[in-house]
Amino acid sequence: MSFLTPLFFLGVAALAAPILVHLVRRTRARKVQFPALVFVRQVPQRTIRRRTLQNVLLLLLRCLAILLIVIAFTRPFFSGGSAAKENTAAGATVVLVDNSLSMRRDPLFAEAIKRAEAIVDEARNDEQLVVLSFDKRYAVVSRFTADKNRLRLAIRSISAGWDGTDYEQALRGAESLLGEIETSGPKKIVMISDFQAPGWNQNTATFKLANTTQLTTIDVASNEPVPNIAITNVEARGVVFGQKYLDNLAVHISNFGDTPRDRIQIDFQINEQTVEKRDISLNGRDSKVIEFTGFNLNEGANRCTIDVVSGDFAPDNRFYFTLRRETPAKALIAESASRGRSDSLHLQSALTTNDDLPFTFTLKSTGSVDPSGIAEYALVVLNDAGPISGALADALIKFVEAGGQLIVSTGPRTTADSFNALQRIMPASLREAVQTKAGESVAMTNVKFDHPIFEVFQESGRLAAAHVIGYFRSEPTATATVLAQFEDGSPALVESRTGKGRVLLFASSLGPSWNDLPLTPQYLPFIHQMVRYAGARDENSWYSLGQTFTVRKSANGQIPPVDTPGGARLSEGRNSPDGDLLVTARELGFYRLRYDGEPGFAAIDTDGAEGDFTKVNFAEFVAGVSGGTGTGEGGDANRNASGEEVEGRQRVWWSLLLLALLLLLAESVLARRTKMVKMVG
Amino acid sequence: MISPSTTPARFLDPELLARIGSLELLARAVVEGFMSGLHRSPFTGFSTEFTEYRQYNPGDDLRYLDWRLLGRTDRYFIKKYRADTNTQCHVLIDTSASMDYAHSSSVTKLQYAQFLAASIAYLLNRQQDAVGIVGFSDKVHTHVPARNRTGHMRTIFGTLSMLQPGGETRLAESLHQLAEILTRRGIVVLISDFYDQADRLKEAFQHLRFKGHDLVAFHVLDQNELDFDFTDPVLLLEDAETQEQMPVLPDVVMSGYRERMRQHVNDMRACAAANHVDYEMLTTKQPLDFALFSFLSRRAGR
Repeated sequence: MSFLTPLFFLGVAALAAPILVHLVRRTRARKVQFPALVFVRQVPQRTIRRRTLQNVLLLLLRCLAILLIVIAFTRPFFSGGSAAKENTAAGATVVLVDNSLSMRRDPLFAEAIKRAEAIVDEARNDEQLVVLSFDKRYAVVSRFTADKNRLRLAIRSISAGWDGTDYEQALRGAESLLGEIETSGPKKIVMISDFQAPGWNQNTATFKLANTTQLTTIDVASNEPVPNIAITNVEARGVVFGQKYLDNLAVHISNFGDTPRDRIQIDFQINEQTVEKRDISLNGRDSKVIEFTGFNLNEGANRCTIDVVSGDFAPDNRFYFTLRRETPAKALIAESASRGRSDSLHLQSALTTNDDLPFTFTLKSTGSVDPSGIAEYALVVLNDAGPISGALADALIKFVEAGGQLIVSTGPRTTADSFNALQRIMPASLREAVQTKAGESVAMTNVKFDHPIFEVFQESGRLAAAHVIGYFRSEPTATATVLAQFEDGSPALVESRTGKGRVLLFASSLGPSWNDLPLTPQYLPFIHQMVRYAGARDENSWYSLGQTFTVRKSANGQIPPVDTPGGARLSEGRNSPDGDLLVTARELGFYRLRYDGEPGFAAIDTDGAEGDFTKVNFAEFVAGVSGGTGTGEGGDANRNASGEEVEGRQRVWWSLLLLALLLLLAESVLARRTKMVKMVG
Repeated sequence: MISPSTTPARFLDPELLARIGSLELLARAVVEGFMSGLHRSPFTGFSTEFTEYRQYNPGDDLRYLDWRLLGRTDRYFIKKYRADTNTQCHVLIDTSASMDYAHSSSVTKLQYAQFLAASIAYLLNRQQDAVGIVGFSDKVHTHVPARNRTGHMRTIFGTLSMLQPGGETRLAESLHQLAEILTRRGIVVLISDFYDQADRLKEAFQHLRFKGHDLVAFHVLDQNELDFDFTDPVLLLEDAETQEQMPVLPDVVMSGYRERMRQHVNDMRACAAANHVDYEMLTTKQPLDFALFSFLSRRAGR
């Protein structure tokens, strides 16, 4: 039996009250000599004994009533463990051992293994046990067995990992395993962990254990706050096209401890060469973002690291990421020839003012474009292109389906019919051109600011200030996504994917013919974002441990050998439908992709939240995941939290109070009777 | 018939008598006061007295033949006399610890017994009877043989005043023992609180009677031994003889105790009657003349 509020046991002192009353009010017998007690002894002493007994009984009743009230206030409950032991049938138990990164703190993992072995030792000989290790995923270490030796071996085979923690996944796995076994005995899950708060999110958690499943939590970590400075995230554009990195490289640093820290040294290295050092200060439970920009990058892949010089938990003191500097791809702007006057002046100007764009552009008239040469471009922009030949249309369709990017804008020279040939790949079918009345204009509305093209306008919202005087009404296809609309609801910017490529349709002009967008400050970022979006690659600058990254085939169609951060040659992996290699990251650091000539890298980092050793709120955790009885053992917080849940279900205090009430009732009846007997006597 | 007079009994009140230091003076005060208050009596004394004639039968002692009558009438008659009253009397006093009790009166049972014994001794001595004193508790510890010599009374009174309470009551055993000690027939006056079983006493009485003794039993009790009247709600009673302690609720025990005590007195009375023992129950508050009247009236019937 355990108690939720044992401090109330101080109330036992109240027992002194009835005892004192009993002693004070007790008549002290006077000693009197009497000639002979022979006749006194012959009088039945039952009455005397009964009265003495009644007095003692009254005292006992009062004491017991007070004791029961005190115990009721301590909110007792019976732990599930003992109840389970009373069950005669042997049950099934899933032992969940946390081997996430945070368990690498000394001596947590060793303690977890010890506790797991102890559970196996204490288990009944006919009890079926299974051992699971878990971090963000779970792994079955041994199948259900009653063989304790095998279970011990399985437990000893678990090693501490590098990944984050997900308690919900682990419990799901344990529950599904328990569902596989049939037993009339209790089904239990014993979770051994340091119970980090980031491992469980009450708001997103949806899983609950079955009512029949009993959860026992064993906390191997102390409840003392643990100081830790960790780099939790690096936000970087993985691929750049200029020598300098002009964006802001944002590094998130958190102090998970309660005490403020000064002069924390941050080292930024590229290819093992220090680029910059910073000193920062952090308050307790605070985080800061520091930014780096303007540094030079070598051609190709660059291995970058951010280090926090701290004596805390080492695994999260270094953050790995890659920055790739690439040569811009070729892009074609095709426009209608208009007596030597280019409508793409603004567009061309916008695309050449920044050398950190993924493309270098070539301007051609539609008629001069060689359909057979389309394939050498990565992006084609049809800027108010006018009629398109069938051959060019076929070439563009093949281009998009093969992975090319196509941006289409309309204008005065655009006719709906001219796009019929491209209908297969277009995100919308053009209807009629709309010209507003003189002096009137429409604005762009319903802009999806969460889209990469518009996210830079999210805060200003100024894009809506552009005046549009002409546009094409269009009907988006079923698979298309409308990113912005005109005021009449017609799509302004719509995109769709076709094959491996993508098509963006802007239903107004990218020149000043139909809107004043090129004359506003929003034009440049709008065009840059659209082009970057078109040239964006699905390539991260870093991956979390456990994530899968793609190793693309080299130019000769071969998958390059991959070396792990530890230097071993990777032998496992699976292929994507395109024949690329899919690798699941298992180690921290840089995976080396041995392409011919120029190597590639994939940076693997820990889950940033894993450095936060704050304890989960056990009350919420047990209530959230436990459908049946849940108990906690180990840390005090654990025990209390679990106990509160169990106590809440058992409500033993109700019964105790009721019993105390009955005792007080009996006491008053007995006291009244004793008084009456005394009066009659 | 002897009856108590209207003489002020204050001189015979035990509590007043207790103030008299000398037992001799006390006894004299009691007996003289008592005797002076008696009415005229047909009895003139306890000396040898003629009662009747009867015809001589062969074998009769010729000493009792009335020669004068033979000379005048030529008839043989034998003169009959009352028995010789100059007899031995032993006063037996129970000195067990239970006799050292006084609650309703300031006089303990033992003191009352001493007064009574002194008075009886004085009275008998005045009549030229030999008086002896026996003190006993669990055994006979004091024995003054019966004498009627001059100065014997001083011994009697001295012995009586020296009696101290103590020891357990073994009345029956002590009486059996005395029956063997007192070889000469006489009067035995027994003063005790009689805390013994009636059937055992019965045998002891029979033993004494068998030895030819006339037995007078004075059952001396404190009034509270009869009433069990305590004001305390609870008492820790301690047996005077065994020191055994017992918690008691007087209000609860009283009626049962009274009933048993009354039954005991009745048993004693019946036991005495069955064995021709003159029995009288006295409380320590009762004047001593009551006891003397009782004694004398019963003796007059013999």
